[in-house]
Amino acid sequence: MKRLFLNLIAVFLVVVAVAQEPVKPQLTPRIITATRSVSLFTGLEKQVFQAIQRKDKAALDALVEDDFEIEMPDADPLPGDDWEQAVLSRDYDLKSFLIRQMSARDLGTAVVVNYDRVQQSTYKGKSDGGEFFVVDLWNKEGDSWRLAARYVSKVSTIPWTPKTTPKPTGKQ
Amino acid sequence: MLLSRPIRLAFALVSITLAANFLSAQKVLHSDEDQRPNGFHTDSGETMPAVASPNNGTVVLGNGINYHGGTVLHSNPVPVYIIWYGDWSGTGSNTSHTVSVIDAFLAANSLGNSGYEKINSTYGDAIGNVSGNLELSRQVFDTGSQGTKLTNKKLTAIVNEHLTSGSLPTNSKGVYLVLTSSNVSETGFCSQFCGFHTAQTLNGSNIKWAFIGNPDRCQSACEIQSTGPNSPARGVGGADGMTNIIAHETEESISDPDLNAWFDSSGEENADKCNFRFGPTRTAADGAKFNQTFGGHDWMIQMNWENRSGGGCAQVLGGKFF
Repeated sequence: MKRLFLNLIAVFLVVVAVAQEPVKPQLTPRIITATRSVSLFTGLEKQVFQAIQRKDKAALDALVEDDFEIEMPDADPLPGDDWEQAVLSRDYDLKSFLIRQMSARDLGTAVVVNYDRVQQSTYKGKSDGGEFFVVDLWNKEGDSWRLAARYVSKVSTIPWTPKTTPKPTGKQ
Repeated sequence: MLLSRPIRLAFALVSITLAANFLSAQKVLHSDEDQRPNGFHTDSGETMPAVASPNNGTVVLGNGINYHGGTVLHSNPVPVYIIWYGDWSGTGSNTSHTVSVIDAFLAANSLGNSGYEKINSTYGDAIGNVSGNLELSRQVFDTGSQGTKLTNKKLTAIVNEHLTSGSLPTNSKGVYLVLTSSNVSETGFCSQFCGFHTAQTLNGSNIKWAFIGNPDRCQSACEIQSTGPNSPARGVGGADGMTNIIAHETEESISDPDLNAWFDSSGEENADKCNFRFGPTRTAADGAKFNQTFGGHDWMIQMNWENRSGGGCAQVLGGKFF
């Protein structure tokens, strides 16, 4: 009886400990001045997703390396060709996306970028949207940058609907 | 089966804890979404509705940036307070030379009232427009009360300490700048941002404050050029890099002090829309580029978004858009 009681107390302590991990700082409401790298790679990431929206294979090929791969939890690495075939197919519809909270760490000829992406999309008619945490590795080739590898994890499947401001008419 | 009192108590304890953790987890997720600083200016990550012209038509919409009902800072001049944090008697750009360059930048009739700063007078609220004038009011030195590894909490503590101690006045109509030497780190500085601005209730008042780090800590991320027009030596461009970020943060702190006045549909404030865009430049004898001259100095500072004539990045009020 005493042992069972001690075991239950141990379970209680483990539950409390798990709930405290990992330590997660609260986000602060503030408006940042983005670094030059963040400005540059926000633009390049947008180009990748806009190429997917347009089903523009040439534009996408210009932005990703030939041996590009995607890694995600509980899955084998996804070859870039398979990914490209899927996202450029008619089955995939990227309706909207938003890139936020980007960090970029410049390592010279390579830059590691991480960001939070929320998107509305469907694959074979089913909702594929949500929130994703993405880490991208960009390599410099001459004067241009190409995406070498992506590590992506889904944070939430909660559908996200952007609410945009009314377009100003100038007559308000 | 009947369980003994201690066992029942333990089960109850575990059940309550599990329930509390579940509810807590829901709250944390919701809280994160609410408070994400995503540039959308609201806690929910959504944009705010634009509202009609703020002061009977003297400030119009339709110039690529929208008004959302908040106030702007009207003072003429807007007082600026500086907290020099860290070691400003060191080497490189962490010296009194940088202090004197930035003092000259923010002195009366320097940045304030320049054709450049007057671009900000195209923003207003129900009371009136921004004056386009600002001036250094008081500055203090803090050699490291919160150490050299800063977080947002520690930055808040630094500002609060100087308000409560009375070393700086508590003024809700001013802008406070925390300028850190290059040996001081701040989470996110150099990887996400070069500076930021915010508003908080401190010492009983709504205080607008901004962080600007010495970009010599990360030249490729936050500095325009290694040698600026006010560099004391080649390769020491920190002071000029800081003037660029100070221009950015003060413009936004004045036109969108509480993060609810002027920004566009993607959440960008006026200076964000021209971040690291300089327009045409000239070259000094030492090779440093500059695009402004006022207060007896040349400066290399980003353009600002002019809220008229369709909107665009300009170097001076009424000048060409680039």
